[in-house]
Amino acid sequence: MLTRRDYIIKWGSYGAVSLLLTLLFSLTLRDLRVLGVTMFLPPLLVGVVASLEDTKSAVIYAIVVGVLCDLTIAGTFPCVYTLAFTAASLCCSILAKSVLQPGFLCSLALTTLTFVFVDVLNMLALRLKCHAEAGPMLLMMLCETAVSCILLVVCHPVLLHLHRKFTI
Amino acid sequence: MKDFFSKFGIWILAAAALIAVLLSVLSYFTSTSTALHNAAGIVTSPFRSASETVSRWIEDKKHYYKEYNDLLEENAALREEVAELRANARQADRDREENKLLRELIDLREQRRDFEMESAMVLERSANNWTRTLTLNQGTSHGVAVKNVVVSSEGYMIGVVIEVGLNWCTVQTIVDTDTEIGALLFRTGDVVIAEGDFALMRENKLKLSFLPTEAPLLVGDYIVTSGLGGYYPSNIVIGTVESVESDDDGLAQYAVLAPMCDFDSQTEVFIIKSFDIVE
Repeated sequence: MLTRRDYIIKWGSYGAVSLLLTLLFSLTLRDLRVLGVTMFLPPLLVGVVASLEDTKSAVIYAIVVGVLCDLTIAGTFPCVYTLAFTAASLCCSILAKSVLQPGFLCSLALTTLTFVFVDVLNMLALRLKCHAEAGPMLLMMLCETAVSCILLVVCHPVLLHLHRKFTI
Repeated sequence: MKDFFSKFGIWILAAAALIAVLLSVLSYFTSTSTALHNAAGIVTSPFRSASETVSRWIEDKKHYYKEYNDLLEENAALREEVAELRANARQADRDREENKLLRELIDLREQRRDFEMESAMVLERSANNWTRTLTLNQGTSHGVAVKNVVVSSEGYMIGVVIEVGLNWCTVQTIVDTDTEIGALLFRTGDVVIAEGDFALMRENKLKLSFLPTEAPLLVGDYIVTSGLGGYYPSNIVIGTVESVESDDDGLAQYAVLAPMCDFDSQTEVFIIKSFDIVE
């Protein structure tokens, strides 16, 4: 059982590691284009944390990440990340606790699901606003998810290490 | 799990919905940016700047040796172009004098294009694949406002300011799907619409709609801003026609427009804060 102090240290560490990963990503891989798309880190953080942590903590983490993304990244509509990450995190937590075995594959599945939530909302927004065709958008979703999931090789072990440190 | 949802589920969803609605409402009713957006922009500004500097440095190092031979060829081509442009400039000087004289003869107001510009550095390129935006290091403290046009150092259109904070602004580039600009076919003066298209956005291109039926477009035709409505200055080059295509139903035609500048290589741009054009 974690004390209040442990709890603050744990989530402070999660926050610091998330910011550090984001900073490192921005410095190195942000402009790299693979299959015509750039990698997108935030859904990975939400997916991995949902696979490791309890539902309440994971959803609050997702809301915080979502709000920060909405405040700093231009989206297809103003609250796209808050909505997508919250909904994705709820679904991911349910799957992680009831269907999937924790581990890398679980993180991969949940990250993919988070990308689906984000990209479906983006697709709906663009479809309504500019009548964008579904084909290129689906292709974008596939490419973005596939390319970004490569980052799990780094994100999953780092966040897993942090999780174990505060659990065991 | 069941207990958790019965206890907290509704509150979590309510909190997320409240935040989402708050963000949407604030962004709808403010003409610059919300206080939260502004604060987030100010706090992240140094990090964005540092990250851009580092990635630009790496990119420069990568290209330093690779592009040497290309640069030699480009240099030779540019020398020829400079000679040609000098000849054109001399002719333009003579034409300008003649134009001035003729305008005086028929008592026309002198043409002028006065722009109040602000130079800005690119802090960040779009962080996701669904929009094409740039973040610049100038904001309301430098007089930048929403709907200001942003051009490259060569004067080619880059985009329009859509959000401004104290020391930052977000520019929606012309290839973004939300873009819709009144444009002119420079050769014929026909009015067309330049608009973003999701499929073309990945290739950094945009779409030209409402093509004129009388005068067919030619590949390489220049497309410039129309200036109609007074929102944007006229005659700013948007791009050139790359190809003319038919819609899926085959009934309407559209043209693919290639912007004149490469958004990914821009480091310094210019914001047109106000303009006064007499034509």
